[in-house]
Amino acid sequence: MRTRLSILTWPKPKGGPHHAICHYCDTVHDAEPIPEGSRARCVLCGATLFQNRPASLVRVTAFSLTALLLMIVVHTAPFVNMDAAGLRTELTLPGAARALMDEGTPLVGLGVALFTIITPLVLAGGLVYVCAPLMFGRIAPGAMFVTRWMSRSEPWNMIEVFLLGVLVSLLKLGKVAELHFGFGFWAFAALMICMAAAVAAIDKRELWDRLEVAQGE
Amino acid sequence: MSQVNGKEVPRGMELGLAGCHVCEKVSPAVLVNCPRCGSHLHMRKPDSIARTMALVVAAAVMYVPANLLPILTTRELGISTESTIIAGMVQFWSKGAYPIAIVIFTASILIPLLKIVALLWLCAAAKGLVPHSARILGKVYWITELLGRWSMVDIFVVAILVAMVQLGNYMSITPGPGALAFAGVVMLTMFAAMSFDPKLLWDQLEREEDMTTAQPLSESE
Repeated sequence: MRTRLSILTWPKPKGGPHHAICHYCDTVHDAEPIPEGSRARCVLCGATLFQNRPASLVRVTAFSLTALLLMIVVHTAPFVNMDAAGLRTELTLPGAARALMDEGTPLVGLGVALFTIITPLVLAGGLVYVCAPLMFGRIAPGAMFVTRWMSRSEPWNMIEVFLLGVLVSLLKLGKVAELHFGFGFWAFAALMICMAAAVAAIDKRELWDRLEVAQGE
Repeated sequence: MSQVNGKEVPRGMELGLAGCHVCEKVSPAVLVNCPRCGSHLHMRKPDSIARTMALVVAAAVMYVPANLLPILTTRELGISTESTIIAGMVQFWSKGAYPIAIVIFTASILIPLLKIVALLWLCAAAKGLVPHSARILGKVYWITELLGRWSMVDIFVVAILVAMVQLGNYMSITPGPGALAFAGVVMLTMFAAMSFDPKLLWDQLEREEDMTTAQPLSESE
């Protein structure tokens, strides 16, 4: 697989010598290519300088594409149905953000929408947009702009924190009402795993090197 | 210059080189903007300590209403009960749900508090006010950045409860003003962590070393 798809090897941008600066201690290193699956550490403080994750572009594209498809399910299917006092209420992902906006805390509701809906969408959509053409050595229009905004939005993606929130709430409600897990809940759990896997597969340095090389061609 | 196993390794500051925070490319800092991705290029994050301190102090101030004001109001058969974050945790604890009480305590009370303390400590260390090991504090900073988001869990719990518990006159839950303050604390500490530059810890260490073992003037670079 690795030898057949020669396009998958990490290209070196023109010019040089290439350096890497440790973001923790400012030590300047020579940035020589490293074999797949290995990691370059700072000689002074031991922090990770960069990594070469195996088949990172393929994995990022696959996981973020799956995440995008799962988002459709997550936004339409309810997570949980609750039966109490003869009434049935259901929880959906947009429903949680909307509830806060409607009930007098619009700012917090906006934050919840940003952290659980908009950022994951931007991140997964952006990754597919940038990484899928890069697999074939092509650069999508505006890919550098998109990648820049993706790396800024990454800390604000809180899909996994929301899942913990769902579990805590259900434990709270389980005592007062009857709860039924919906399809949306399992889709959301799968979405969390896909987003985590996609983000964990990104090789920042390699991605930017590829973008630079693809743009130069 | 820093010493590693007797060999001197250069630092970006001495060579006038800056590593781009967005795309990792190393370029001369005089370029101002990264030639690869166009992001602002700097050897140290601008006004790092002043910005971090301002955001941390704001977060510490917000931490008070976040814990004192009710995060949600439950209206059950016409009777309203307001509950704070601590009350919610105590409720779980008294019902014997210890693991969930510990999760809430850690995410909502301990982590924001530890983040505020850690960032104050990092700023003090970078200013040379407390003795420090830059290697260990670098790890403290890394953990601070990593854990910050998890404090948001209580806001999501409020959102979910408000969305689900709308049972007319029987029972309904509305968010309280504490939710806004608490979301503010989490976001402010996240911005504070982002504006701190761990390189300052090593700069300070270097200044201290220079003072203890001053080199003669004739020494070349």
